[in-house]
Amino acid sequence: MTTKFDLNDDSLVVIIGSGAGGGTLANELAQKGIRSVVLEAGKRFTLDDIENDEWKMFGKISWLDKRYVEGPARLAKDFPNLPAWIVKGVGGATMHWAGVAMRFQEHEFKMKSTNGVVPGANVLDWPITLKELEPYYVKAEKKMGVCGTEATGMPFHGQSSHYKVVAEGARRIGAKCDQATLAINTQVRDGRPSCQVNGFCMQGCKIGAKWSTMYTEIPKAEATGNVEVRPQSMVLRIEHDKSGKVTGVLYADKDGNQQLQKARVVAVAGNSIESPRMLLNSASSMFPDGLANSSGQVGQNYMTHTTGGVYAEFEKPVHMYKSTVVPGIVHEWKDNDASRGHLAGYELEILHLGLPFMSAFLNPGKSGWGRELADSLANYDKMAGFWICGEDMPVESNNITLHPTEKDQYGLPVPVVYKTDHINDTRMRNHAYDRSTELFESIGATKVNYLPPYPASHNMGTNRMSEKARDGVVNKWGQSHDISNLFVSDGSQFTTSGTENPTLTIVALAIRQADYIADQMQRREI
Amino acid sequence: MKNNKPDLGRRRFLARSGITVAGVGIVSAGLLSATAWAARAVGEQGSATLMRMARDIYPHDRLEDKYYAAVLTPLAQQAEADADLRTLLQEGVAELDRRSRERFGKPFLDIAAEGDRVQILRAMEDGAFFQRLRGDLMMGIYNNPELWPRFGYGGSAWQHGGYINRGYNEIDWLVLS
Ligand SMILES: Cc1cc2nc3c(=O)[nH]c(=O)nc-3n(C[C@H](O)[C@H](O)[C@H](O)COP(=O)(O)OP(=O)(O)OC[C@H]3O[C@@H](n4cnc5c(N)ncnc54)[C@H](O)[C@@H]3O)c2cc1C
Ligand code: SF4
Repeated sequence: MTTKFDLNDDSLVVIIGSGAGGGTLANELAQKGIRSVVLEAGKRFTLDDIENDEWKMFGKISWLDKRYVEGPARLAKDFPNLPAWIVKGVGGATMHWAGVAMRFQEHEFKMKSTNGVVPGANVLDWPITLKELEPYYVKAEKKMGVCGTEATGMPFHGQSSHYKVVAEGARRIGAKCDQATLAINTQVRDGRPSCQVNGFCMQGCKIGAKWSTMYTEIPKAEATGNVEVRPQSMVLRIEHDKSGKVTGVLYADKDGNQQLQKARVVAVAGNSIESPRMLLNSASSMFPDGLANSSGQVGQNYMTHTTGGVYAEFEKPVHMYKSTVVPGIVHEWKDNDASRGHLAGYELEILHLGLPFMSAFLNPGKSGWGRELADSLANYDKMAGFWICGEDMPVESNNITLHPTEKDQYGLPVPVVYKTDHINDTRMRNHAYDRSTELFESIGATKVNYLPPYPASHNMGTNRMSEKARDGVVNKWGQSHDISNLFVSDGSQFTTSGTENPTLTIVALAIRQADYIADQMQRREI
Repeated sequence: MKNNKPDLGRRRFLARSGITVAGVGIVSAGLLSATAWAARAVGEQGSATLMRMARDIYPHDRLEDKYYAAVLTPLAQQAEADADLRTLLQEGVAELDRRSRERFGKPFLDIAAEGDRVQILRAMEDGAFFQRLRGDLMMGIYNNPELWPRFGYGGSAWQHGGYINRGYNEIDWLVLS
């Protein structure tokens, strides 16, 4: 906890962001004896700050700096300033996350070879394969404590009432459904307790049963003495020298004073809106379009997964909130089968919201009122439902750009997020709505509600990996094609989104990247 | 005070989603009668109109007026000190009545059919007056711990040891065929 590094120490790795990517990278490097400073825009929270209250936690830990949503999608109308639901705090969005941890499927690393050119989309193969990532998936599952996997040997959570309802529906329509592999302890493990089923995983786990870098990677990294975490340190820009190597990071400290931390290596892990924003904000006379942007792909290809919600009402109580937030997954349609009318796959993730959030999301926006909505909310305890999570197509015009005139409290241009469906996304969502309806009606649903996408919890693709420098921002190690000592370590590296929730893959990539950085430092390549 | 921060965040979220909020009033605290609560800000007729409107926005016939009044009372109290808010409410009620007279020949409160009242409200739903009420009511009804048991929602669970030993896996109506 007490390690302090000098601002002029230029032997350090500077990691920006302490979430899934940044927090993991810091600990992995620290365990190898590599010293780093973690600059984190948000505060440090403790388990005492965590409450089982949806709005209170939203208010406490969300990233609420000014942002704009643009595009024809309903999100832009319902939530004009909230494109994403993510966290500002030590631990990043691993505080909010639901813990679903699944590996990508083999074909998801090769979507271009699998489907050829998709009109209107910017699809590309990843420069790595499932086989290369597999050993790191095993390490990630062990690190995070993913139940229901061989890597940990921890059992599943057991079937909650919410799970049972959906599983029976799935069985009746012949769809595969299994309990979710969650990075949530079902046994005492790694100094953390077993889940007691509070049902507030997305508000932060009060007892620490769910993996979050906030109380795993970060304190472990600090305990080595090799890491200094500086909370409330908002990175403004990354500096470089005449040779084009990055040399340090300018940030605003908790008192609003600007500080320049020198660096040997810089790793960007601010999540997929802030990471490209930082690179764009670091434009200089040598790099007028922003750092690492010779391809023009920084900020482009923004992906959020194809999402939506489906909540069915029954005659009798389900009490879905008495469960881990995601107790199971219907994964019948996770494969890539064009005969369904869309490419790529999706999962139906059984997921509950509390009554407060349900009232805001069941029919979001200005017209969300009236008897129909109230009647559905009166049936809250008789609901069961899904969050749809499907692969979305990378589209170049879905992107993060800088507002031409408006600045935020740090004096930085406000980010503008443009996101709209590719036709494949729309077809996939409609397929998911239809299959969900069939499933719920098979067990007697009296009404099925379709929810439009809410602010994005999964954000990916805005600094994507590519084999060739002209197609993307980073290589297969997350190292920028243009600047050898500049890395991207978060979900913005994703070439395509896959069907699965992103965090396990972010963590696997960070573990692998740490090996590479250590090797390159030792060889004095960086 | 510890409660201020989350409130601010909530307000900001709703500002971002196009609605605004006031805090949730404490229902059990001695309340004025349902029609008198907002009289000073918008008059007797006005306060009865707002109550009708509130019950049309989130109609739960089994919920007593006091739960709606618990949202409207602090709003009216705030309006006494806040001229802009007072104007918003007064002009909003006047507009509601003007449209009701134009369409149905009587003030909003006297329109008997819910469907007719909803027609008037739908046409005003994009405005600041309507959204202010909707936002306050959403928080006041659905984010009110006092009402959670009525909706069958459990609220905070960790202090009870979660549901691991309190029925997380119980469901008796599924016929496993
Ligand atoms: C409600 C919710 C549920 C989710 N459920 C799941 C799930 O079940 N499974 C799953 O796989 N994923 C889930 N996710 C997504 C998961 O949380 C993210 O994919 C993951 O945390 C992203 O990791 P990251 O490293 O890219 O960014 P983050 O974890 O968001 O970390 C980024 C950090 O960088 C900081 N930062 C940003 N800009 C700056 C700056 N300029 N200077 C300094 N610091 C900065 C931020 O404050 C933040 O702490 C969920 C997310 C949410 C919100
Ligand atoms: S359900 Fe389990 S993981 Fe989720 S918040 Fe409760 S104890 Fe934590």
